[in-house]
Amino acid sequence: MNIIVAMRQLADLVEELEVDSSGTDIDREFVKFVSNEWDEAALEEALCLKEAYGGTVTVVGIEEVDFHQTLHAALAKGADRAVELTGDFEGWIPTRQRAAALAWFIRECDFDLVLTGVQAADDLNGQLAGAIGAMLGVAHASVVTNISVEGSEAHITQELGGGVTSVSRARLPLVLGVQSARQAPRYVPISRIRQVMAEATIEKVPVTGESFGNTPQVLRLYAPEASGTATMLEGKPKEVASAIYDVLVAKGVAGSRKGN
Amino acid sequence: MLTVIETRQIFAGETRLERVVFYLASFVAILIFFVGLAFRVRKYFAGRPLDLSRFRRKHLDRDLLGITRPVPVSRSIHEIASNGTVSKRNRGVGLAHLALFWGFLGLLAATTILSLDYDVVGNLTRIFGHHELSFFTGHFYLAYNAIFDLAGLAALVGLVGLIVRRARSTSIALDYKRAQIPEDGYSRARMAAGDLLFAYGLLAILVTGILIQALRIDASRFPPYERWTWMGYAIASAMHGIGISSTSAAAIHLWIWWIHIAMALAFVAYIPWSKAIHIMTAPANLLVRDSSATRRLPANNLDHPGYRSLDDFTSKELLSLDACTKCGRCHSVCPARTGGAPLSPRDLILDLRQWADRSAGLSMVLDWEQRPTASGPLVAGGRLAGDVILPATLWSCTTCMACVEICPVGIEHVPTIVSLRRSLVDEGTMDPTLQSALENLATQGNSFGKSARMRARWAKGLDFDLVDARKQHVEYLWFLGDFASFDERLGEISRILATVLRDAGVSFGILFEDERNAGNDVRRVGEEGLFEMLVEQNLAAFAGADFDKIFTTDPHSFNTLRNEYPVYGLDKPVLHYSEVLLEIMETNEGALANLGGRVTYHDPCYLGRYNRIFEQPRRLVELAGCELVEMPRNRTNSFCCGAGGGRIWMDDSVLTERPSENRMREAAELGVEQFVVACPKDYVMFSDAVKTTGNEGRIKVVDIVELVAEATRLVGAGSAGGEQG
Repeated sequence: MNIIVAMRQLADLVEELEVDSSGTDIDREFVKFVSNEWDEAALEEALCLKEAYGGTVTVVGIEEVDFHQTLHAALAKGADRAVELTGDFEGWIPTRQRAAALAWFIRECDFDLVLTGVQAADDLNGQLAGAIGAMLGVAHASVVTNISVEGSEAHITQELGGGVTSVSRARLPLVLGVQSARQAPRYVPISRIRQVMAEATIEKVPVTGESFGNTPQVLRLYAPEASGTATMLEGKPKEVASAIYDVLVAKGVAGSRKGN
Repeated sequence: MLTVIETRQIFAGETRLERVVFYLASFVAILIFFVGLAFRVRKYFAGRPLDLSRFRRKHLDRDLLGITRPVPVSRSIHEIASNGTVSKRNRGVGLAHLALFWGFLGLLAATTILSLDYDVVGNLTRIFGHHELSFFTGHFYLAYNAIFDLAGLAALVGLVGLIVRRARSTSIALDYKRAQIPEDGYSRARMAAGDLLFAYGLLAILVTGILIQALRIDASRFPPYERWTWMGYAIASAMHGIGISSTSAAAIHLWIWWIHIAMALAFVAYIPWSKAIHIMTAPANLLVRDSSATRRLPANNLDHPGYRSLDDFTSKELLSLDACTKCGRCHSVCPARTGGAPLSPRDLILDLRQWADRSAGLSMVLDWEQRPTASGPLVAGGRLAGDVILPATLWSCTTCMACVEICPVGIEHVPTIVSLRRSLVDEGTMDPTLQSALENLATQGNSFGKSARMRARWAKGLDFDLVDARKQHVEYLWFLGDFASFDERLGEISRILATVLRDAGVSFGILFEDERNAGNDVRRVGEEGLFEMLVEQNLAAFAGADFDKIFTTDPHSFNTLRNEYPVYGLDKPVLHYSEVLLEIMETNEGALANLGGRVTYHDPCYLGRYNRIFEQPRRLVELAGCELVEMPRNRTNSFCCGAGGGRIWMDDSVLTERPSENRMREAAELGVEQFVVACPKDYVMFSDAVKTTGNEGRIKVVDIVELVAEATRLVGAGSAGGEQG
């Protein structure tokens, strides 16, 4: 079974993100970039599938800050092939453009499954898997937590609302947005990553001729503005407790202090 | 006049056949002994070659004797001869063992001399000369008897002392109960039987030996010169006194002689197949031990990470497994075992020994553990780290080094545990919390998962600006470590230390976001690659800064910077802040007011046991005018807080009592008001332990710099603090 895992880089959310001077993107200059955690889950599920059914795992993504680190780690974990798509990619890449580049590459591959993270910090509506599926003309499912394969069919476990889980059956090939893998992403020792860095090669593929049609334009990026309803209480614990009590009384949640 | 020749006849009553039987039996016994020994030695050589170069190696400038420089052979010999490591914290056992040790060596020498005279000199002169010669006469004979009677008595007294002590002991060190109980159970009855056979067998050999001497003197009708054989003569006189005639003595003598010979020869043959092998392996191990190995862990010199098979071990490690006498001292002091974790250093060594013997096709007659089903060291195949030694066992170690410190035969458990952990890390077998800490360390350079730029955020609360050592020359580069930088509770202590140093006019600066976790605990977790990466990052940061010396807040960082970084090229002196503080306070007389109050001080493992800094923090406590009340376990015997070796990143729920709680209960007995620490991790661990042991409001955990700051503040305020206490 041949699996393609689409991965990407994101600004590390432990950093304090700032909006740059254009007002339409985060300041990318001093921010650390790390792999998208849901993509890591997709990779883990792919590696588990490879261990269970054999085949290959190809990791692909667009050239982004420190993407090589992600690719090297993936190779160290057991991926067979690492591909970096190069081209005119700057700053914040719209999901539709990303999907088009990935679909352009994947179309030429022999694949049974395409896995990617269910979402990313700048794609919380999780368009990527669906868009790739549409562009490839392949069925798509999302919020997947487990995959098993029987012959030319896959059984897909998905999380639904209200604590319900469903298992569905679908014919391969498929594009799946992975919510979590059957196990937590494995740890790969730094020494093995370093060994991979010294030995393995990353294939660089220039993206040509991809078109992705209409895509929305970002007008403004900003941190949520304080709505003004939060009050910070300061002082000694007793004073704070007393202030909280007064607020509760004022809002009618609790009875008055001297009341019965 | 008849000349009296002071001697005795060898083989006085034995027939020719009996002599042949004796020599044949001796030959067989010695053969079994040497075959067993050869098998064991072959097992040791299956390991990686012993690195003897360390005894000749030119040492780095700041290598410290016993810390990063191996113990010299001369000192080891002295320790072996004086049984110094056996007496450590156990005077009585040490003395008894010393008597047995020298007594046994004396008796061995006596037998060897006798054999040399009769078998070598006697035979040679009979075959090549005209008549058989012997030097076993005259003054030599008299001195021989006088001296070796003393050896016999010493061995007897020592052995009886040890037997009585073992029989009466209720110590957990000797009950052989495992820390990790296999599902299907286990039995160590054969181990206990091995101990009894060894002790009582030796006792029987000694007693019969002394008896045959007395019987011979009685049988030969008390020649006056045999008074030199003072013990034998006295016993013979006593026997004669209770009615054993010289004739009956001669008859009994032959029987007892054969019993003695049979047991002694059986013992010789038994040595390499039992615990008795320690009489050879223990001194050998003490000679080749490397006390620096725990402080400066060896890099992974294998073509794969961590130990998997017998040949991954060093010869020294394999030898040390055979040196273990099951004395259980490590078992008693281990904080993991005390806290109910599935690790006992003793069990680890015994399991590894049994596994190593099985791997090498060797066996012990008795001293083995049995299990109804093959598991642990009895498992066939399986992973060494994972099946033979369980992951939970390996992850329980706090690397506090208490086991290495107390081991009388010089076993270094910690480097072996780390080598086994490297295998676990390689296959990703670890706590999720540890995994996320390591991932954070790889991406952010700190275990908190915070942005590197937040590292100096604590300094924002200062009313002055800290010097950036990357921009300006400073005398001291202050290396804070993760906890002192990121932990909310410790930010205040970092600010106090910064203020005290600023007020004292010390030239110091920090690296701001360029500091990375020093990697001490990362290395001890077994993530060698990540450790190397952190070393490279920190060395690059050091190269971009201008300073003369480093001091650290964290004793763990202190250990790796002081002892391990020099291997990678760091050439600056490294100090702990308690050393810097003491230097300031001692040069400024009257800088500290008298605080008074009763306090105790906890030695951090990595400051005390690892780096032998015991007195500096105590001196500071003294200068601040506090009354220092020592906990029963102090200095080299300090009890770990449970945070080291990466344990602080792991789940504690397997423990029945956290080591920090055990320690806090020890302190609570003393009636002290303050529990003084000199380590950020200690501050965190013990602040929690004060609450969980119900000592809140009774004992307060304070950092040593808080004491110093308070004492300087009182001086600055010109208050009456000096008259207190």
